[in-house]
Order: sequence, then C-alpha cells, then structure tokens
Amino acid sequence: MRPPFRWGRGRELSASWFAFFMNVPTLAFLGVVLAYPIGYAVYLSLHRVRLADLRRGVFAFAGWENYSRVLGDPLFWVAVKNTLIFTAVTVSSEIVLAVAIALLINQAGIWTSRITRSLILLPYAIPPIANGLIWTFLYSFQFGFLNRILLSTGLIHERINWAGNPDTALYAVAVPYVWRTLPFAIILVHAALQGIPRELYEQASVDGARAWHRFRHITLPMLRQILAVILVLRTAFAFSVFEEILAITQGGPGDATWVSAWYSYKITFAPPNNFGMGSASAFILALMVGLMAVVYMRTVYRRVTL
Amino acid sequence: MMRVKSPVARLMFHLANLMVIVFILLPLVATFIASIQSEKALQADTRRVTPLEFTLDNFTVILTKGEQRGRIFEQATYLPENIKHFYAASLNSTIVSVSVTFLTLLFGSLSAYTIARQRYRWTLFLLQANIVARFVPVIVLMIPLYIVMRSLGQLNTLTGVIVAETAFLLPYAILILAPYFDTIPGELEEAARIDGCTRFSAFVHIVLPLATPALAACGVIMFIISWHELLIPLILNARPDFMTLPVIIASLVGDVHVFFNLMMAICLLALLPTVVLVMLLQKYIVEGLAAGAVKG
Repeated sequence: MRPPFRWGRGRELSASWFAFFMNVPTLAFLGVVLAYPIGYAVYLSLHRVRLADLRRGVFAFAGWENYSRVLGDPLFWVAVKNTLIFTAVTVSSEIVLAVAIALLINQAGIWTSRITRSLILLPYAIPPIANGLIWTFLYSFQFGFLNRILLSTGLIHERINWAGNPDTALYAVAVPYVWRTLPFAIILVHAALQGIPRELYEQASVDGARAWHRFRHITLPMLRQILAVILVLRTAFAFSVFEEILAITQGGPGDATWVSAWYSYKITFAPPNNFGMGSASAFILALMVGLMAVVYMRTVYRRVTL
Repeated sequence: MMRVKSPVARLMFHLANLMVIVFILLPLVATFIASIQSEKALQADTRRVTPLEFTLDNFTVILTKGEQRGRIFEQATYLPENIKHFYAASLNSTIVSVSVTFLTLLFGSLSAYTIARQRYRWTLFLLQANIVARFVPVIVLMIPLYIVMRSLGQLNTLTGVIVAETAFLLPYAILILAPYFDTIPGELEEAARIDGCTRFSAFVHIVLPLATPALAACGVIMFIISWHELLIPLILNARPDFMTLPVIIASLVGDVHVFFNLMMAICLLALLPTVVLVMLLQKYIVEGLAAGAVKG
C-alpha cells in the first residue's frame, strides 16, 4: 500500500512520492515532446496530409494508402538498399578499425601512441554538417584536396571524381561518416581493454603464446560484449545518417546515395510536401531502429560492465 | 599490456600511428589551408597542396558581417546573405546549447538519481523507456513536431528548438548519469536523513556535489551534441534571424557562387568552440561516453 500523499510542513514525502515528483519534468518532456509526436506521426501516416491540407487544418483519413504508396515507390527501395549497404560498410569497418586503433594506443613504450591517443577524440568535436562540407572540399573533382595530393605526388595522373561517380559515391560518404563516429567506438574498446586482467597475458607468454594467439584467444573473447554494444548502437545510428548525405551528395548522383532519412526528409519538406507519406516512410525507419533498440535493451546493455 | 621489444615491431607501430594521425588530421589541415587563401589562389594551381598565400580576409569578411571585404572580396559581386548573420547564428547556437545543457542536466539528474536509488517497477520501466527513446531517429520526430509547432505558432523561435532538443537529449543524459549515481554509497544520504535532512535536500547537498564529475561529463556531451544538431533547427527555424550555426553552414551547400575558401573558413569558426571543449575536457567526455553506452 502506498501511503497517502499529504502536503504540510515538516512532513517528509514518502519514498515513492519523492521518486514520482523527481520525475515529473522528465515524464512531461518525454510524454509531450517524444511520445506524443511519435503517436502523432502514426496518425499522420494514416491520413492525407499535403501542404494544402495543412493550411486548411483538416486531414482526411487515408487508411494504408500512404504506406502502400511508400512501399510501391521504387525510390524507397533504392533508399533502403543504400541504407543497408551504408550501414554494413560503416559499422563493419568501424569495428575493425576501433579494435586495431584501440590496441595501438594501448601500447606501452611507443611514444607515437601517446600522440595518437591525445588526438583520438578530435573528430567527435566536428559538427556533422561541417564535416560533410569539409569532405566536399577534399573530394572536389577540380579543386579538391585529395586530387591535389595524389596528383602532386604522382600517385594518379587523372583526376578522380570521388563523390560524383554513382559506383563509388556511397562509399565516398561512408568514409567521412566513419571518420566522425569512430572515436566513440575506439573509446569503448579502449575502456574494455583496461578491464582485461594482466595475469591472463602473463600466463599466456609463459606458455609461449604468440601475439596473434594472445589476441585471438584472450583479447577478442574479452571484447565480445563491448563489440556487441558498438554493433547495435552504431547500426541503429547509421540507419538514420543524414548530415553527410545533405552536405556531400544530396542523394546524388542520380539516386546513388538516397538513404532512408534523406527519403523521408525530401518527401516531406521538398515540394510537393507530402507529410503523410513522409511520416509513413519515417515510421518504417523507426520500426527498423526500434528493433535494434529492443535487442540492445534485452541483451547487451545490462550484461556489460566497464 | 605487453611491451614491444623487437625493433621491427616498434617501427611497424610507429608507422601505424603515423597513418592514424594523418587520417585524423588530414581533413582539418585541408580546411585550414583552404581558409587562408583566396578563390583565385585556390584555382591558380589545382595540383598544389601547400598554400600559395596567407590571408585572413575570409575570416574578416565573416566576422564583420560582410562590411570589411578586404583584398579578396573587394570586387566580389555576391556574398551569401546568411554569412552576414554569422553573429546572430553564433548567439542563437550559444543560447540553445547552454539552455539545452542546463535543462538536460537539471531534469536528467533528478530522474537518473531516482532510477538509480528507488527500485520500483515503474522506475525500471522509465529506464527502459529512456533506452528505447535514445534510438528514436530525429527525422521521425521532426515531421509531427513541425506540424505541432506550426499550429502552436512556435516556428522560428528559439524556445521551440530548445524544447525539442531537450526532449531529444534527455534520455541520453539519464543513461549517462544513472550508472554514476549508482556508485555513490547510499549510506551518506541515510546519515544525512538521520540528522534531519529531507530526501530532496540530501540529494541536493550530499549527492549532487559528489556527482560533479558525472555532471561535467554529461554536460559537455550535451553541449557538443546540441551545438552540432542540424535537423531540428533546420526544420523549425527557417528565418535567418533564428538560424543556428549548423543551419547557416547547411544553407551554403549547393550555393554555386560560394567557393571553398569561404566555406572552409566558416566551418573552422563553427567547429572551434567544440574542439576547444573536447581538448580541455577529454577525460570527462571519455568517461561520459563509456557510461552512456553500458550500465557500468
């Protein structure tokens, strides 16, 4: 039984009422600005909401029409395919690079490792949209920094159209994204490395285990859980990549870099402003990400300690 | 970790470090080199890596709202209108980021403390709701929020952006703070309560001072994320007076008249505050990022 709540001087709040009052602001924010809009997005996705409807303020019920139009749109499937490729490429390279770089900066007695360690977090400080614009300069066909370096060192003789080639554009966007989000993965792996008992390695070197065997049989198994955390988190966030796409390719060339978040954004906020269809496509994206969230909460979040 | 002994292995490690350092610094060096040259110099030799000249005119023209054009913009017929709003945008970005940091820390610490201390079924549910909420893609929120804010007349206000960003970041703040409150021993508050403290004043006077490192870690991460946030202000605040720095930068995308020297200069100015923060508070950010990802 919860004790009745009473106002009054000197009277202490019971623990459960105290917990409730402490959470009022959070509940209000989460309810009004997070839960309600998500519910409203579902409502919008089931109604006909175009710019004209928005001006009138009356939305006619449309049933599954928005969903069937989204699912019947070839461009939507191109966006889904690109999102999956982008996610697979960025997340897998991040995990490999994070383990390699975390081991590198963890080396004692290598003075250059200390320099690397002090710089690791730098990309985290760069605004994603600025990152996109910076790489637009690096990739520029005529004036770009990459072509300048490669031409002046004689590594290439013809300019390369890094972001303008439909076959490579998606990968050209993946590199800046990995550059910006890698610090997070490195930091988690590096923290997990500190938790591996030294004795394990000492025992192994007494037994004469080579470096690769130590990595394969001690380090990697001890990192498994933190790698699962990185896998789920980075997958969920790579699903909704937006800024680098906006800055570097705007979905182009053609539809080579249309991804899910870009699709929802363009359908909604570019003419003819179909808010209903945009909500439907955004909600499909949310479902994919929501699946990752449940996996994360149920399996990896509670088991790992650093 | 094992000490590396053989000279060959040491050389390999140095080379690997060099590659990583070059990879991290290359985009920033390129940005700097472009920002200190004129359009003419950048176009003069498109194979040249090192700067042909050194000029601060790109920064001057941005920082004087286009009034002091200097040598390289003397004859320029076009300057993007939004560049002239650089000061207003910096101010807007500062107001938004400081407010969001303050609000997320305030509400986040209240919630995280109760989640860590009071184990009820609903506080556990609240924790789970926050974990799921952290995954919500911004674009899913923005379409309904645009319509709601539009009907409330809250488009083109800083309040709308602050409220939206606070709600979006609050779950993450709670996830960063909760594991830390969990490590503070509960006996301290119990002792204070025996001395006549209320629960709330025990929280404010005993727990919060002990949690300063966690608040610093969480606060700097919140500031950085809200300083970087593009989609929320881009959709809610389209009028130049209410733009934040990322929105100004986004408005230069695809502007065929704007050349890289000016773009890189404005990017450099926009990334400077968070780079300084990250370099000064590295230790806290590392702790906060780790705490926010796992239960600790």
